Amino acid sequence: MKLEFLAPQTLQDAVTMAKARGGAARFIAGGTDLIIQARKSGAWPEAVINLQQIPGFGEIKGTGPNFSLGSLVTHRQIEREIRFAGALEALRESACVIGGHQVRNVATVGGNLCNASPAADMVPILLCLNAEVALAGSEGRRVVPLANFIEGPRKTVRASDEVMTEIAFAAPAQKFSSTFLKGGRRRAMEISIVAMAGVVSASPDGKMTDVRLAMGAAGPKAIRLTEAEKFLEGKVLSKDVLEETGMLAAAAASPIDDVRASASFRRHLAGVYARRVVELSWNRISELNDDRSAA
Amino acid sequence: MTEVQLDLTVNGRRHRLSIPAHYSLLDVLRDELELTGTKTNCLEAECGVCTVVLDGKSVASCTVLAAQCQGRQVATVEGLAEGAALHPLQEAFIEFGAVQCGYCIPGMIMTAKAFLDENPRPTRESVREAIAGTLCRCTGYQKIVDAIMAAAQRLSQQGERA
Ligand SMILES: Cc1cc2nc3c(=O)[nH]c(=O)nc-3n(C[C@H](O)[C@H](O)[C@H](O)COP(=O)(O)OP(=O)(O)OC[C@H]3O[C@@H](n4cnc5c(N)ncnc54)[C@H](O)[C@@H]3O)c2cc1C
Ligand code: FES
Ligand code: FES
Repeated sequence: MKLEFLAPQTLQDAVTMAKARGGAARFIAGGTDLIIQARKSGAWPEAVINLQQIPGFGEIKGTGPNFSLGSLVTHRQIEREIRFAGALEALRESACVIGGHQVRNVATVGGNLCNASPAADMVPILLCLNAEVALAGSEGRRVVPLANFIEGPRKTVRASDEVMTEIAFAAPAQKFSSTFLKGGRRRAMEISIVAMAGVVSASPDGKMTDVRLAMGAAGPKAIRLTEAEKFLEGKVLSKDVLEETGMLAAAAASPIDDVRASASFRRHLAGVYARRVVELSWNRISELNDDRSAA
Repeated sequence: MTEVQLDLTVNGRRHRLSIPAHYSLLDVLRDELELTGTKTNCLEAECGVCTVVLDGKSVASCTVLAAQCQGRQVATVEGLAEGAALHPLQEAFIEFGAVQCGYCIPGMIMTAKAFLDENPRPTRESVREAIAGTLCRCTGYQKIVDAIMAAAQRLSQQGERA
C-alpha cells in the first residue's frame, strides 16, 4: 500500500494539493468514516490531505440568532456547547448520540455532512435550521443550502478539491424550541434506524407556527417533512393533530429493509417519532419560558 | 514519499519515528513502541479496547492515523502508575473487583481517566454514559462504575489536599 499523507497548513494549500491530484486524494478530518471505510474495502485513496492543522475551522461562533460551526468542530464540542442549551438543545441531542466519547472527541460535523450517510445524525436538525454550508475550492468560494448539498446516499455536490469550511444557520425569530430523537436497538453506539428533528415556534396567540420537521435514516437522504409542516401551521396541540402528523410523516418515509430494521417498522417509527418530537418541542417552549420568568 | 516522519510524545517520552502513512496510532504504540498494554480488537472504534488519551481526550487509537498525531501528547495505561504506586483508578479497579479477564481494562481505565479529568465530580449516570463506547464482556459494568466513582472521590480528595 502506498498511501501519501499530506499536511497543508493553509486552506489554499489544501485546495491546491487536492486539485493537483484530481479525484485521487481525499480530505481527512477526524477520520472516523474515512479510515474505517478504507480499511474495510481495502481501497485507500492515493493520498489523504489532513485538514486538522489548518487554523480557524475548529470554533463555534455567534451569540444568536446567527451561529456558525467551523467544519472541524467535533461532536463533543457541540454536545457541551452552552449556547445551544435551551432552545437549540436538539443540536446537543444530535451530537451526543454519535458513537462513544472516543468517536465524538475526534469526529467532526463537517465530516458527518460530507460523508452524507442517510443516517448521519447531524443532518436532520441542521435541515430544520435551514443551515447553509460554505465550500472553498479551486473555482472560488460558494455557499450552498444543506438541503441541496446532499444529493443521495454518500453523494454531495462538493467537488473533490472543495473544502467545507463552515456551516451557518439562524435561530427562528419567535419563541421556539427544538428536539432530536433517535431510534435504535440500544441507547448508545447505534446507527439510527429513524432519526427525527423538530423546531417548533409559538405565535403570540398560542398556536404552533413555523414548524420544521426533518427525518433521517428513513430514505436515501434526510428530508424535511413539508406536508406535516404545512398541516401543523396555526394548529393547537391535540391528540388528533398529533395523529395526523404521524400519518403524514410515515407517508413521507421511503425506508429500506436491512439488518437493523424492516421497512415497515421504520415507517411505523417515523410516525411515532414525528408525534413525539412535535409534542416534546411544544412542551419545551413553555418550559423554557417558565424558566426564564422564574430566573 | 509514503513514509511519514513522526514526532510523538508518549507518556512524557518523545519519540521520532519513520512510519508508513496508513499506520494507526494503535499500530505505532503496539508494533513500533512495543507498548502492548493498549489492546487491539475490532479496529472500527466500536469496542474501545484501544482507547488512549490524546491531548487530554479519549480516542480509539485504532481509528486515528498516527500521522495525524504529529507533535501531540499521548497517554497510555503504561504511563499511569508512578513507579510502584498505582494510579487511584488502578487501585480502585483492583479493590472493587472490577477486573475479570482484564482485556477491556486498559481501555476502560483510559476512558475513565480522560472523563474524570474533565468531570471531577461525576454521577453514576454520567459514568455509564462516558464508558458507553468501551465494552466489557465479563463484569456487567456494575463494579467498573463502583470503581470509577470511588476513584473520582479519591482523586478529588487528593486534589484538595495538594
Ligand atoms: C463507532 C462509530 C459510531 C458512529 N456512530 C454514528 C452515529 O451514531 N451517527 C452518525 O451520524 N455517525 C456515526 N458515526 C460516523 C462518524 O463518526 C461521523 O459521520 C463523523 O462525524 C465523521 O466525521 P470525521 O471528521 O471523522 O470524518 P472523516 O472520516 O475525516 O471524513 C468523512 C468524509 O468527509 C470528507 N470530509 C471531512 N471533512 C471535510 C471537509 N471539511 N471538507 C471536505 N470534505 C471533508 C472526507 O474526505 C471523507 O470523505 C460513527 C462512527 C463510528 C466509528
Ligand atoms: S480496537 Fe479500537 S475500538 Fe475496538
Ligand atoms: S474484564 Fe473481561 S472484558 Fe472486561
